[in-house]
Amino acid sequence: MAEKVLNKSFNSINIAKFRELGLLGFILLLSIMVQLRNSSFMTLENIDDMITNTAILSILSVGMMLVIVTRGIDLSIGATLALSGMISALTVKANPDLHPLFAILLGTLIGMACGALIGLVIAKTGVPPIIATLGMMNVFRGLTFMISGGKWVSAHQMSVSFKGIATSSIFGINTLIFIAIVIYVVFYYFINHTRTGRQIYAVGSNPESAKISGINNEKILCLVYTIMGALAGLAGVLWVSKFASAQGDTAMGFELNVIAACVLGGVNIAGGSGKISGIVLGALLLGILNNALPLINVSPFWQMAIQGGIILIAVITNALVKRSVDRNNLIWRKI
Amino acid sequence: MADFVLELKGITKVFPGVKALDNVHFQLEQGEIHALMGENGAGKSTFIKIITGVYQPDEGELYLNGHRIEIRNPKDAQKLGIAAIYQHVTCYPDLSVTENIFIGHEKVQKGTNRILWKEMHEEAKKLLDQLGANFDPKVQMGALSVAQQQIVEIAKALSTNAKIIIMDEPTAALTKRESEELYRITEQLRDNGASIIFISHRFEDMYRLAGRVTVFRDSKYIGTWGVNEISNDDLIVAMVGREITQLFPKKKADIGEELLRVEGLGKTGYFEDISFTLRKGEILGLTGLVGAGRTEVCQAIFGILDYERGSVHLEGRKVEIDHPQTAMKLGIGYLPEDRQKQGLVLNWEIGRNITLPVIEKLSNNGWLNDGKESEMAKNLSEKVQVKANSIFDHASLLSGGNQQKVVVAKLLTADLKVMILDEPTKGVDVGAKSAIHEIMSDLACQGYGVIMISSEMPEVLGMCDRIAVMREGRITATFERSTATQEAILEAAMMRGHAEAERAAI
Amino acid sequence: MKEKNIIAKKEFNLKSFFFQWEWMLVLLFVVINIINTFLSPYYLDPKKLLDATMTFLDKAFIVLPMVFVIILADIDISVASTVALSAVVMAVSYNLGVPMALAIIICLLVGTLCGFLNGLLIVKFKELSAVIVTLSTMIIYRGIAYIILEDQASGKFPAWYKFLGWGYVGGIPFILIVFAVFAVVFGLLLHKTTFGRRVYAMGNNITASRFSGIQVDKIKVIVFTLTGFMSAVTALFLTSRMGSTRPNVASGYELDVIAMVVLGGISSTGGKGKLTGAIISIFLIGFLRYGLGLKNVPAQALLIIIGLLLIFAVMIPNLKFNFKKWGKVQKTS
Repeated sequence: MAEKVLNKSFNSINIAKFRELGLLGFILLLSIMVQLRNSSFMTLENIDDMITNTAILSILSVGMMLVIVTRGIDLSIGATLALSGMISALTVKANPDLHPLFAILLGTLIGMACGALIGLVIAKTGVPPIIATLGMMNVFRGLTFMISGGKWVSAHQMSVSFKGIATSSIFGINTLIFIAIVIYVVFYYFINHTRTGRQIYAVGSNPESAKISGINNEKILCLVYTIMGALAGLAGVLWVSKFASAQGDTAMGFELNVIAACVLGGVNIAGGSGKISGIVLGALLLGILNNALPLINVSPFWQMAIQGGIILIAVITNALVKRSVDRNNLIWRKI
Repeated sequence: MADFVLELKGITKVFPGVKALDNVHFQLEQGEIHALMGENGAGKSTFIKIITGVYQPDEGELYLNGHRIEIRNPKDAQKLGIAAIYQHVTCYPDLSVTENIFIGHEKVQKGTNRILWKEMHEEAKKLLDQLGANFDPKVQMGALSVAQQQIVEIAKALSTNAKIIIMDEPTAALTKRESEELYRITEQLRDNGASIIFISHRFEDMYRLAGRVTVFRDSKYIGTWGVNEISNDDLIVAMVGREITQLFPKKKADIGEELLRVEGLGKTGYFEDISFTLRKGEILGLTGLVGAGRTEVCQAIFGILDYERGSVHLEGRKVEIDHPQTAMKLGIGYLPEDRQKQGLVLNWEIGRNITLPVIEKLSNNGWLNDGKESEMAKNLSEKVQVKANSIFDHASLLSGGNQQKVVVAKLLTADLKVMILDEPTKGVDVGAKSAIHEIMSDLACQGYGVIMISSEMPEVLGMCDRIAVMREGRITATFERSTATQEAILEAAMMRGHAEAERAAI
Repeated sequence: MKEKNIIAKKEFNLKSFFFQWEWMLVLLFVVINIINTFLSPYYLDPKKLLDATMTFLDKAFIVLPMVFVIILADIDISVASTVALSAVVMAVSYNLGVPMALAIIICLLVGTLCGFLNGLLIVKFKELSAVIVTLSTMIIYRGIAYIILEDQASGKFPAWYKFLGWGYVGGIPFILIVFAVFAVVFGLLLHKTTFGRRVYAMGNNITASRFSGIQVDKIKVIVFTLTGFMSAVTALFLTSRMGSTRPNVASGYELDVIAMVVLGGISSTGGKGKLTGAIISIFLIGFLRYGLGLKNVPAQALLIIIGLLLIFAVMIPNLKFNFKKWGKVQKTS
C-alpha cells in the first residue's frame, strides 16, 4: 500500500506542477523568441511598462478566481469598473482638491455595492450567475452612460494628483504594481490561511457536503461577488487614472481578458480549485502577448483571436488531462 | 440502566408508500464491534441516517448512555460523539487531507479567523500515524485511493472525538489487502474505547471483526446473536428466511433457440470476462450485491456505456452497439434502474412519456401525429394497468409502482426481442410488483428473452429460468432454476471463491 | 375495472388556458402600447409602427433558435460574434469580386460553420459547459473578424441588396415578412415535429432521453448549427440596413437575444416555454424601445430596463416556486 500512495500522490502533484511549469516554460520560450526578433523587448523600461499594463488585469483576476472557484462567473466587471471609474472621475472633476486616496476609496466602495447586489441576487434568488451578471452588466453600463450624460471626462478635467496615482511610485515601485502586489499578498493569506478563505474552496469543491459541514453557502457566494465588485471598483479608479479618461464604454469586454487569465492560470471552471501563483502566470502571459505582438510586427488586430484560441486550448487541455487521470484511476480498481 | 452506549427502541420510519423501518431495536455495548447485516433494502441505510440525524424517526426512542436523546441534524450527532463513515466517501476532492479531516471544526487562533496550519497538519499526521497510514496530510484528497480516503474519513471521526463510529460497507470497494488494513484499524479504534457499528455484506468481515451481530430483514429487527453462537447457515436463513409466497405466478414458457450471446465482455475498472447466453422465452436473472457491475454490463450491451473487450451476438450475428438507438433498432430494450432520473420525464404527461422512444415511428415523416400517439399511449397504459384518469396526467403525480408501469409501457412500444430489466420492482408496492411480474412472464411466453437484474432473492428464484451471480465485476456462478437455492446464491454473491482469493493475493 | 378506462382525449381547460405566461406578456404588450400612445401623439400610426419593426427585427432571427438552445438548458453567447464574422466575410468577399449572391451564400455558410463548431465542441467536451465554450468562440469569432477587416468598414454593396433591410412588399416591410416565415417554420419545428418533442425531452431530462434512444449529441449539434445559421441571417439584414459592416458590429446582441428568450417565459433551467412567448417579447421590447425613442429617452435607459427585465424574468418564477413550497409547509404543519 505504501508504494502505491507514493506513486499516486506523486502523479497528481506532477499534474498540478506540470501545468504551472508548462506555463512558465511557455512564457520563457515566448520571451526568448520575441527578444530574438526585437531586442527592445527585454529592456528594463519595456518590462516595467508591460507589468504596469498587466497590473489591473491581475488585480481583477484575483476576484474572478474566487468567483470561478465557487462554480460561478462574473460578466459584469467591465461595467462595474466603468461605473466606479466614471463616478470617481466626475467627483474629482467637481472637487479638484480631493485627495486621491479618497477617490480610490470611493471607487472601491461603489464597486463593492455593485458586487454585493449581484451576490444577493445570485445567492438569494437562485438566478444563474451568467444571467444575473449579464443583466447587471447592462444595468451598470447604462448607469455609467446616464451619469456621464454620454460625455467623456478627459485628461485636462482631472487633477494632477489623481492622474498621479498611476504614474507615481511607492518604494521605487510603480503604484499600480505596488497595489497589485499588496492585493496578491493579502489574498494569498486570505484564501490559504483563514477559515473563510478555505470555505470558499469547500463550497466550490462540494456544495452539498459544505452545507452538511455547517458552512453558510449563501454567505460565501455573497462574499465572493462582493470581493469581485470591490476589486473591480478599485480597478476602475486605477484605469481612469492610468488612461486619464473616463468614458461610457471604458473596459468594454475586459471581463473576457480576466476570465482568460484565470483559465490560463489553471483555475478549474467546474469550481473548487485555483491558485494565486497560477493566475499571476496567466495574467503575465496575456500581458506579454499584448506587449510583444506589436514588437514583432504582428498586427494588434490578431490579439483577440489569439487570446480566444489560447483560452479554448487551455480549457480543452485541462479537460483532456483530467480524462487521462480518471482513466488511470480506474486501472487501480481491481476486478 | 447505562449498560449500553447507544440504544434504539421501537424505531419506525415511514416514507411515502414505504415503511423503511418497522419497530426496530438495537443495542450497542461499550467497546464492542457490532455487525449489522441484512439484504439490500433491509433498512440498514435508513437506520444509520436516523442515528446520524439525517432523518428523524416517526416513532421510537434513542438513548445515549442511558439518557434519552434527540438528534435533529448531523451537527447534533457530531456533538454527541457519533460519526459515520459512508460507503461513498463524501469528501472535498480539491482540498488537502488535513482540511478534509478538520472541515467544520478547524483549529483557528483564538479570536481570529486564522487557521493554525502547523497544528492542524501535525494533528492530522498524528491521527493518520495512529491509524497506521503513512501518506502526507498535505496531499490533495482527490489524489488518494478509495481505501486511503476511507482512512481519512476515519481520521475525521477521530478528530471529533467520536465515541460511536458507524462504518457503512467500508470494505465494499477495497481489495483484500486493503481490507486487512481496515480490520486492523477498526480493532485499534475499539481497543481505544470506541464502540463501532460495522455494516457489511461480507461474512468474512463479520467473522474477523465483530463480537455480536444484528440482522434486519424487510425493515424489521430479526435478532441479535454472538458471532460464535450462530452458524453460517443459520445466519443466512435469518437474513433471507422469509417464505417464498406465490406472489410470482411464473407461467411456463417454451424455451427456444439462442437469442443473445455475450462473450468475454470487459471494461477496465467496471467488469471483466462476462459471458452468458439468453434464449427465446427465457428469463435470465442477474443478481449479486449492489455495485457488483450488473448494471454496467447491461448498459454496455444497450449502448449507454462502451465495452473495451469482448463481443455481443444477436441471433448468431455479431453486432456493434454504439448507441441506445442502435440497440433498440436491433430489438434490445433496457428498463433503467432509476425510473425518476433515467426512465421518465417527470414533468411530462404519461402519454408523452410512453411514446417518446417511438415518436419517429408514430409520426408522418417527422410531423407529430397526436391521434396515433394518444391511441398507443391509451392502449399501452391500459395493458400495463396504470392507475390514472387520463394519459394527460403528469408522471410526477403517480406512485412509484405506477411510474414503473409507465416505464415498462415505454419498453413495450418498440419491436423488441431482448428486454433487460434493471431492478424492475425496486421500491414499488406489492400490487404493482405482482403486475410487473405478470407482464414479465407474459413476455417470456410470447418468445421474448428477458434479463432481469434483481437483488431480491425471492423474486430471482421465483421468476428466473437461470440465474447468473456477479461479484466484484465477474460472474461467479450460474444456476439452473431447479438447482438454485437462496443460500448458494448468497454465498456466490458474498464469499470469495478460491480462485479469486488467489488472484487477490497476487 | 377502473383502470381499463383511461381517457385519451384532451379536455379544454379554460383556467389553465388563460393562466399562461404568454397572456401576461400580451397584457404587458398592450399596456406598453397604451402608455406609448398617451406619451406621444405620433406613436399610434400603423405605417410608422410597421417601419419601427424594421429597426429591431434583425436580431429577432437569432431569438428563434436561441429558444431551442435555452430549452436544452444550454446557452450560446457567441451569436453576436458569429453575426460579425459572417457579415465581415461576406463584405470582404464581395469587395474581392465575388458576386453578391455567392457572397450571401458564403455568409450563411460561415455562420452555419461557426454554430456547428460550437455544437461539436460542446458535445465532444461534455465537461466544459456551453458557457465556457461559447465564451471562447465568442472571442475567437470576433477576433477573426478583426483580423480580416482590422478597424475598417466594408460596404458598397449593389443597390438591390439594400432591399433586404429597407424594402417593402405590398406595403409591409420585407424583413417582417421573412421573419414571419421563419417564425412559422421554427414554431412548427418546435411544437409540431418529433425534433421539437425531443428537444423538450432533452431539456427536461437528458439522461432519460438518452435511455429512450434519442441521439442527444446529434440534436444538440443541430440546434447550435441552426443558431449559427440564423446569426448569419441576422448578419444579412443588419448589413443591408447599415449599408456597410465593421468587426465590432452587433456587439451586445447576445444579451438582447437572451433577454427576449428568457422574458418570453423560456426557463433558463430548460425544458419549458413556448416560441410564441419569445416572439411576443421581441415586439414588446422593440415597441418599448421605439416609444421611448419618440420621447427622447436615451438608449442607455433601455439598457438598464433590459438588464433588469432579464434578471426579474428569471427571478420571478423562482420566487413563485418558493412561495408555493412555503404555502405547502404552512398547510401541513
